[in-house]
Amino acid sequence: MAMLEDWSSKSDQMRYYRSKKDSSKLTVSSKYTILGFISSGTYGRVYKAQSLEAEDRDRLYAIKKFKPDKEGDVITYTGVSQSAIREIALNREIRHDNVVALKEVMLEEKSIFMVFEYAEHDFLQVIHHHSQTLRSSIPTAVLKSLIYQLLNGLIYLHSAHILHRDLKPANVLITSTGIVKIGDLGLARLSSQPLQALHVGDKVVVTIWYRAPELLLGAKHYNKKIDLWAVGCVMAELASLRPVFKGEEAKMDAKKQIPFQRDQMGKIVDVLGPPTTREWPGMVHMPEYNSMKSIDQSQQNRLKEWCHSRIRSQQGYDLLRLLFIYDPDKRLSAEDAIKHGWFYEDPKPTWNSFQSLNAAQIPPHRRITQDDAPSMVTSQHNTQHARPGSGMSAQTHGLGTGLGTHTQGLGSQGVGTQGYGVQTGYGTYNTQTQGYNAQGQGTGGTRKKARLDR
Amino acid sequence: MSTDFWSSSHYRKWIVDHVTIRESRAEDLRYVDDPEHLDFLGIFFANIITKLCKKLSLRQRVIGTATVFFRRFYLKNSYCETEPFIVAAACCYVAAKAEESPVHIKNVVMEARSLFSQDRYGVKNFPSDNTKLAEMEFYLLDDLECDLTVFNPYRPLLAFCRKEGTQQRTQNTWLPEMEIGEVGVAVDSKDAERYWGNGEGQLELNEGALQLAWFIINDTYRADICLLYPPHLIAIAAIYLTLILHQQIRETVIPLLAHDAPEPSSTSNEPPRRSSRQQPGGGISTPRRQAQDPVSFLAGLNVSMPTIFNIAQHIISLYALWDRYKEDGAPESQARSGNHSAVASPLTQGSTPGTSHKRTMTASRGGSMSAPGPTSGSRTPGSEGGTPVIVTPAFLTKMLTRMREAKMADLAHPASGRPVNKMLERTQAAG
Repeated sequence: MAMLEDWSSKSDQMRYYRSKKDSSKLTVSSKYTILGFISSGTYGRVYKAQSLEAEDRDRLYAIKKFKPDKEGDVITYTGVSQSAIREIALNREIRHDNVVALKEVMLEEKSIFMVFEYAEHDFLQVIHHHSQTLRSSIPTAVLKSLIYQLLNGLIYLHSAHILHRDLKPANVLITSTGIVKIGDLGLARLSSQPLQALHVGDKVVVTIWYRAPELLLGAKHYNKKIDLWAVGCVMAELASLRPVFKGEEAKMDAKKQIPFQRDQMGKIVDVLGPPTTREWPGMVHMPEYNSMKSIDQSQQNRLKEWCHSRIRSQQGYDLLRLLFIYDPDKRLSAEDAIKHGWFYEDPKPTWNSFQSLNAAQIPPHRRITQDDAPSMVTSQHNTQHARPGSGMSAQTHGLGTGLGTHTQGLGSQGVGTQGYGVQTGYGTYNTQTQGYNAQGQGTGGTRKKARLDR
Repeated sequence: MSTDFWSSSHYRKWIVDHVTIRESRAEDLRYVDDPEHLDFLGIFFANIITKLCKKLSLRQRVIGTATVFFRRFYLKNSYCETEPFIVAAACCYVAAKAEESPVHIKNVVMEARSLFSQDRYGVKNFPSDNTKLAEMEFYLLDDLECDLTVFNPYRPLLAFCRKEGTQQRTQNTWLPEMEIGEVGVAVDSKDAERYWGNGEGQLELNEGALQLAWFIINDTYRADICLLYPPHLIAIAAIYLTLILHQQIRETVIPLLAHDAPEPSSTSNEPPRRSSRQQPGGGISTPRRQAQDPVSFLAGLNVSMPTIFNIAQHIISLYALWDRYKEDGAPESQARSGNHSAVASPLTQGSTPGTSHKRTMTASRGGSMSAPGPTSGSRTPGSEGGTPVIVTPAFLTKMLTRMREAKMADLAHPASGRPVNKMLERTQAAG
C-alpha cells in the first residue's frame, strides 16, 4: 500500500498507468520459445522462435529485436528510431503472400520485438548453395519462379506507394514451401507521384551493387524504378551466382559529402556500355552528370553476350535488357515486367519455387546458434558483439532518437556499405567478417570451412 | 499509405461507435461534475497539440495524426489515471516520425516544457529528462497497438475539390500544408472517382472556400469525429458545410435549390443538369467541362448522405461547445481573434474568409441547432457542479488535478468504498 501513496506523487503522475500496463502485459517469453539466434545487424538481432500459444502452437517465427539504447551500462529510453517507426508503420498495413508478414509487435524491457513469419531460406543462401555446394547454376524453372514471385510482391508494394529501396538477395526470403517473401522494409518509404524529394530523409539508399544509375548520379527525385533496377541485378546474380555489378564503394569524405561512385558506375558501363543522352535525356540534369564524362565512353553494350551462357533464353535476355534500361522512365515497371514473355515460355514459373528440385538440391535450413539466445531476454550480449566493423552501426543506432535527416543518411550508408557477408531479410549484416562468423559459429562453420578447403 | 483505406488498420480497428467512446470515458465520468467537461478536455488538448506542433514547425497533417493518436490513447485510458500533458507531447513526437518529419526528442521536451509551464496551463513539473518522454513513447506505441498509419481528410478534400481555374489537383500548391504523395493517401485521384457516382469529376471551389473547408477539417480534430467516421466522409462533410457557410457560394446555391429540388439518389449519366443555371461571378467559377456545380456534386456522390449530415451536425455541435471555451479566460472578443489563428475555428479565424463565417455560424446556432455534444448524451448544463459559462484552461487543469487526486485517493483507500462517484450522484439526483 505504500506504493499506492506514490501514485499520486506530483513528480511522476504516470506511475499508476505504467504499473497497470506492466502487470497486464504478456511477455515475449510467455508467448514464444526462443530456439536460437539467426543474425544481427545495425538494428539489433534476429531470433528464431516457436509459438507457445494454443491457436498456433509450434508455428515458427523470426523475432527481430531492436537494440535498446544505452548510456554507459544502463539501458535507457532514448526514443524509437525513425527507421523502426517506419518499418513498424508500414508492416502493420501490408498483407501479401509475397511480402513477409508481421504477426505482432511487442514492447518489453525498453526493446521492440517485431514478430515476423518465419522463412527458411533466402535468395543469397540459394546462391551460396549453388555456387559452393552444388557447384551448378540455378535451374531456369527455379530462377524464373523466384523472379516472378519477387515481381509479384513488388507490384503489391508499389501499388501501395511503397518503395522498398533495399532489394538484394539477402533481403528476399523463401519459405520451406518455396514461396518468395520480400523482407526488411527498414529502408522502405512511401512515395506517390508526383514525387517529392525522397533524398531528404535518407541520403544514400540501396546497397551499392544494386543501386540504380539515377541514384549513382545523385538524383534527388527517384521513383519505383530503382527497385526494378535492383530486380535486374538480383536476376543476373541468381543466373550467374555472382553479383553482376560488383563495384567498390567510395566512402564518404571528411565533410560527409557523398562521393561519386565511380567504380560502381564503371562496373555497370563494363557490361551495358555508357549511357547516352539520346537514350536517357534526363541524364544531363543529374548532379553527377559531369563526373560521368570521366568514365570510359568507348565500351560497347555486351549484355547479350553476358546472358548467352548464363540465361540461355532470348526472352530472358530481353527481360534483363528492359530492367537495365538507364532511363528510369523507360525502364520496365513491375506490372509490365511480370507480363514479359519470358514468364510465358517453358519452363513456366511455379508457386513452389522448388517444385522441380529433388531434396538434395533444396538449400539447407537456416542455421541458428544457441549460445546467443539468452541475450534475447537479458539483453546483455549486445556489447559483446559490437565489433570494430560495426562502429558505424553503433553510431547510427545511438542516435536513433529521431535526429532525422543526417543520421538517417549515415544509417543508410551503414547498410549500403556492407560486404558480401551473411545477411538475412529480417535485417542485414554490417561487415563481411561478422557475417561469416555468425553463420559459421559452432561446428557448422568448421565443417563448411573444411569443405571449402578440400 | 496503403492506397486502400478499407484494408487499413485505421478502418479495420480504429473507427469506433458512440457506445465505445462512451464506455471509454466511464472511469472519468465518476470524477467530473458534468460530462460536458470531458468534451472541453478534448478541445483543450487538441489545441495544446496544435500549439506544440506549430512550435516544432510541424505541418497540419502531423497535427492531425498526433491528435488522432491522442484520442486513440484515451479510448483505452482515463484522464484521471494518466498525465495527459506528457501523453500529448509523446503523440506529437511519434506523429512527427510516423509522418516522416522527425524532430529531435530534446526539442520536443524543451518546447513542451516552455508551452506547458505557461500560466494558463500551470504545468511546472514537466520532466526535463528526455528519457521520460521516450518512456511515454514506448507505452504510447503499445496502446496504439503500433498502428501508426493514419488517414487524414486533407488528401480526400483535395481529391474531391480543386481550386477554380486549375486543371489538376497537384496545382493546389497555395496551401502551405500541401504535400504531395505521403502517408495518409486515403483517397487518391483514382480512388476518388469511385465516390463520384456520376463520374463527373471534381468540384471547383474558389480559394477562400477551399481554405474554409481545410479549416473545418482542422477543427474536426477537436471532437471525436476522427474516431467515428472515415476521413473521406469527413472531407465531404467539410465541403458540405463550406457550401452552406461560404457566403458567395451560398448565394450561388440557393437559386439552384429554389428552381429545382435536389434528388440525392440521382446517379444518372446525364451531364450536370444545373450547370446552365450557374451564376457567373459567384463563388463557383464558370464550369469547365469536368467541373460540377455544388448541388449536382453532392447529389452525385456515391456516399451515405445521412452519414454526411450526422458528421456536419457533430461539427456544428462542436462549434457550439467551442464557443464557450476561451483560451485566455476573457470572453471572446473581436480583438483577439487575429492572434490565435493557430487554434482558431472559422468562428474566430482572423483571415479574410473568417469574418463572414463568424456571423453565419452565430446565426445558424441561434436557430434550431441544439445537437448534443459528442459524449455528453443527456447532459444537464449548469448542473450542481456549477459549470461556468465560459470554460478556461485554468478551470480544466484544476479539474484534471482534482480528478486525478480523487482517483488516487480511491485507490489508496479501497476499503472505505468509493467516497465520490459523481456519476452515481447524478443518476440518483435525476431519480
